[in-house]
Amino acid sequence: MRGFGRRCRGQGRVFVTLVRQTEQQLLTLGEPIKTFGLKAKEHLAQMRTLHEAQRTRLTCALTTAMGHHDYIRKQSTQLTHGKKLSHCKLVNAYDLTIAPIIKGKSNCPAQFGRKPGLASEPATGFIFANLVPPGNPSDSHYVVPLIDKVQRAMARSETGPKRQIHSVAGDLGLNDAVVRQALHTRGILTVGIPKTVEPIKTNPSAQDVWDILNEAGLHRKRTPYQVHLACASGYSRPVVESHIASLLSRGAGHVRYKGLEGAILQQGMIVLAHNGAVIVRIRRQQVSKRAQKFRRLLGLKIPKVNEINHQKN
Amino acid sequence: MRFVRYLQHWLGGTGARLQVTDFVPVIHPIRQWADTFPWAALVSAIEQSFDTRFPKKSPRGRQPVPIRVLLALELLKHALGASDEDICHRLRTDFAVMYACGLREYQVNPSQAHFVLPETLCEFRGRMDEALMDELIAIQSAAAMEEGLVSPAHLVIDTFPSEQGSQRVTDATTLYKAQKKRSRSSPTSHSSTAARPRSSITKSKSCSTPSQR
Repeated sequence: MRGFGRRCRGQGRVFVTLVRQTEQQLLTLGEPIKTFGLKAKEHLAQMRTLHEAQRTRLTCALTTAMGHHDYIRKQSTQLTHGKKLSHCKLVNAYDLTIAPIIKGKSNCPAQFGRKPGLASEPATGFIFANLVPPGNPSDSHYVVPLIDKVQRAMARSETGPKRQIHSVAGDLGLNDAVVRQALHTRGILTVGIPKTVEPIKTNPSAQDVWDILNEAGLHRKRTPYQVHLACASGYSRPVVESHIASLLSRGAGHVRYKGLEGAILQQGMIVLAHNGAVIVRIRRQQVSKRAQKFRRLLGLKIPKVNEINHQKN
Repeated sequence: MRFVRYLQHWLGGTGARLQVTDFVPVIHPIRQWADTFPWAALVSAIEQSFDTRFPKKSPRGRQPVPIRVLLALELLKHALGASDEDICHRLRTDFAVMYACGLREYQVNPSQAHFVLPETLCEFRGRMDEALMDELIAIQSAAAMEEGLVSPAHLVIDTFPSEQGSQRVTDATTLYKAQKKRSRSSPTSHSSTAARPRSSITKSKSCSTPSQR
């Protein structure tokens, strides 16, 4: 008998030998399923009484079921042989893109789900892009796709001055040499991504600014003023938590739609709804003092609250 | 009879048209929220995507519910934390929801845009894909940038865990589904919520969406 999980979280005890024996029996029983599946496919193709649409639907369902069977069988075989499972093991036979979302706690029950990423403005919390990848990749894998999405959005805006991303901030999870290099190549400062657990300097000296620009190789592209702003807007956990909390309040913490496509759709709709609420707050000037100052430094205009907005749509 | 006559404009499509904007003040939260979206651009992007991926095979059939209405309902659903059924019911009675859906006049017309079934909303959702969602967010972001409200100069990137919700099949949900199926097949025995078990009501509210897909 073997125990799993910590006592505080409810330890479960499993008869390992019994599980392995039962698994073996089931595997033997399910041995001919593949042959049956292929035969069923052949019979389905020869059926004349079915409509074309119905046949397509049934073939599709059968193929999906057979695919799931392969995955389950592979994992079960590993279990009976006592082999170590890979990191992203199969947790849901009907949705292979789901992965454990808790890291670093191998000895307690982990939740399964997805890990959406977001690129937001630190001042107001407006989300420019979101990403729901399959599985549970490391945080650094989110940066470049998110930046790509933001740059596509920037390319869409036709009026106003030419917009650029000056800096990106994040937590220690984004600290990756390849990511830094990729961002520097695009002319983006990475001063907001910490290298150690030490907090980022909010007010760097002239020498520090010089060093930051030297390290990034962006002397001609970024100004000391932009470095100062990047340091000031550097990663702050409460700021990001407030953005995430706003999404969670709209149901982002629990994916209710089916599959990866469903998760993408739900998170996307939530982001759109959240952005609408953010714009309402900006228009009504209901933003924090920090955000007001930040907006002023970025040269963003203050909306006229006394002006009655006529219907635009 | 008097009550029916009072509602005649609604039932029969005759009578004076009521202006929805008259009933929804400028400071109403839903109206303010709805005014932030670049609806024309969003709807155009969806139409373009749907036309490419789901070409119309026949010109026959009932007029479809406008995409503007379906998109607004889907967004409102997440903004208000409502279920499909709730939001579709509110569309029939709530002027603010009608305003958000772009309906400006309260009167029955042949398009019946004010009457959306949860199943229709599900089908609409089933047609959305990742590329289209990214495009919609990009359109919204671009509109906000053009207006000078936000700037992408400094960005914060982070991730958060999102648990996968699974619909558990219980006796209560099975019973509810059976009752619903029966009520649909026989129009006389219309669904009575009072007869439904309490747990199934909560289940149906939270889990009505994934089963439809």
